[in-house]
Amino acid sequence: MSSANAREGILATLRAGLAAAPLSVPAPPARPASLSVGPDAWALLAAVLEPLEVRLRLAATPAEAARHVADIARERGAASYARWADLPAAAEMDAALAGLTRLEPNPSGCCQALARADLGLTFAQAALMDSGSLVLVAGPQRPRSVSLLPPTHVCLVPRAGLVADVSALPELLRRHAAASGAFPQGLLPSCLNLITGPSSTADIELVLVRGVHGPGALDVVGLDWDLE
Amino acid sequence: MEINPRDFREQSEKACHDATLRAVLDHATRYFQAKRGAALETFADRETHFARARAARLAALSRLPELLEQLEQTATAAGTRVHWAADAAQAREIITGIAQDCGAKVVVKGKSMVTEEIALNPALEAAGMEVWETDLGEFIVQLAGEPPSHIIAPCIHKSRADVAALFRAKLGLLGLSGLDGLPGQENLSDAASIPELTLLARKALREKFLAADLGVTGVNIAVAETGSVILVENEGNIRMSTTCPPVHVAVMSLEKVAATLEDAADILRVLPRSATGQKMSSYVSVLTGPRRPNEQDGARETHLVILDNGRSEVLAEPILREALLCFRCGACLNSCPVYQTIGGHAYGSVYSGPIGALLSSLLLPAQDTRDLPFGCTLCGACKRTCPLGIDHPRLMLRLRERVCQSSGTGLAGAAHSFLALHPLFYRLAVGAARAVDPNLDLLPRLPGFPGLANFVDTRQPPELKKPFSAQLLRLRKKQARTKKPHTNKGDA
Ligand code: SF4
Repeated sequence: MSSANAREGILATLRAGLAAAPLSVPAPPARPASLSVGPDAWALLAAVLEPLEVRLRLAATPAEAARHVADIARERGAASYARWADLPAAAEMDAALAGLTRLEPNPSGCCQALARADLGLTFAQAALMDSGSLVLVAGPQRPRSVSLLPPTHVCLVPRAGLVADVSALPELLRRHAAASGAFPQGLLPSCLNLITGPSSTADIELVLVRGVHGPGALDVVGLDWDLE
Repeated sequence: MEINPRDFREQSEKACHDATLRAVLDHATRYFQAKRGAALETFADRETHFARARAARLAALSRLPELLEQLEQTATAAGTRVHWAADAAQAREIITGIAQDCGAKVVVKGKSMVTEEIALNPALEAAGMEVWETDLGEFIVQLAGEPPSHIIAPCIHKSRADVAALFRAKLGLLGLSGLDGLPGQENLSDAASIPELTLLARKALREKFLAADLGVTGVNIAVAETGSVILVENEGNIRMSTTCPPVHVAVMSLEKVAATLEDAADILRVLPRSATGQKMSSYVSVLTGPRRPNEQDGARETHLVILDNGRSEVLAEPILREALLCFRCGACLNSCPVYQTIGGHAYGSVYSGPIGALLSSLLLPAQDTRDLPFGCTLCGACKRTCPLGIDHPRLMLRLRERVCQSSGTGLAGAAHSFLALHPLFYRLAVGAARAVDPNLDLLPRLPGFPGLANFVDTRQPPELKKPFSAQLLRLRKKQARTKKPHTNKGDA
């Protein structure tokens, strides 16, 4: 049987099944109200990140953000880093990390190149206060592997990106699809990642270990100013 | 290892007597239940979120054919090639074909029950490829040559010493070199710490990710309106499998579709909390088509395989189709007294526990699964646990009915059901039978009643009461025994 025949057969069986035994769906209850994003949003985010062993550092200026990133690099013993090309405060970051080797992702062997970096620096479109999830959208200047291959991942979170929970995701994705000239209209970005804490496993004896395939350390720097 | 639910009775019997297994299961099921319980306690509006997740799944089933067509269209528009597989053999053929077309030598796999269901690994290996399970637990059971034993924690049955011994014996096959800072695998001691073992696996598999030509994963949710696949995990191996190799194949069982991004979000609100007690799993990836021009990583070629393998037939069954709502959180396994006692392997299929007994019965040949719906106490713990409100006991009873209708206990069963409904006739019948056969042990051997042996075989009549004189005698003896220590007390 070919894949096309399979398709027809499957769809016909499904249709016949529903015709023989119609399935009516009662209207679901309304979605409960989400957390409201108020002046304590950073504190809420910090509190939900803490049990995940993720520290949130707040920065009021680009220079302070860069200092935080340099501190993290020192604490984690990083000698090299890779970053997304279009970060806020990118020049400040590079200056603060001048002592480290910057690895450039190249399209032919992006993963091979980034597997050697000690620290990956990215930027979140949003952060979910309910779960502490960072929302990263991949793109031409934003390889997925920067937040995945290095043992330490540092993520910048803008103040305007603080949202309540995962129910904000559909709108964010649609806005992104509509606004970004790089994508055909209506098409979602090729990859969106929700990142919630470091990579983890408890597969051996149910003992929690951080950093099994992805980064074992995740640090968040909150950009507490209005990005233009 | 050949696994088959046909041996369910025998295997569960064996598992019951395995004290180590019992201890491990006890520990694991308690651990998961405690984590989940703590997470749900602080989950505001829990029941409403559960109801919304159920509604999202129900909506998907109620419009399954049109949503799958829409998914095909949107995924194709995003650049993904969509394939339909009627059964396991066809799915294997499609995926092996894709692998051969891209000249794959090394294949990395993210944890997925559905690729286990279609027995993909042996097919790819037979085509000359090297296939690596990359979820730590799956990697360990792959090295051990065993099937996974739990949806969420495939190797809960292995101790750290087991894992150390396994790595010592088998990791050499990976041709690893230069594990700086780690004990070499030959002198890896049984006392190696769990983080050390984990790091060793990370290094071993990192090489495979970077060398892989093809990544194969399952699908947690496929979004019909956008053509996206959503993958949920904690380790990062699924992200690696979709980011590094040039080709990605996602295999979905056809019920995993959701109509909209909103429905997917409602499901994501509940799934991680119910599975592992996390507010969100470490990594949730929403992937739409291959990498775009100018992007530097991610698969260049993406495929989506829509697998039926018996599911479409279930949609016509008003009661049984509830099983298709399941999003595999694994919570009902941990709550089930039978699973807690016998574990996953005894079920003889990829799917274990309450939902496993249901799915296997629905998807596998009837003659192999007839015992599964009977391995259930109907206690209802699964139903109370399931965030999607699946009524497992009701489905279990429906399956029992099906089994009985198709097996030879018809006449005996009908007679018994008549007698059970008419107490007077029951007493008369049993009295008459007891008069000729006091312990009712000749009954199964009675000729001329088709199916009677089958029916009686699995039932035990109550023992006859002892006459009062015998009871009195026993009572006296017992009294004498209990008196003794009392009188001896003063001598001590
Ligand atoms: S049946 Fe319900 S509890 Fe069991 S795995 Fe599926 S969704 Fe989870």
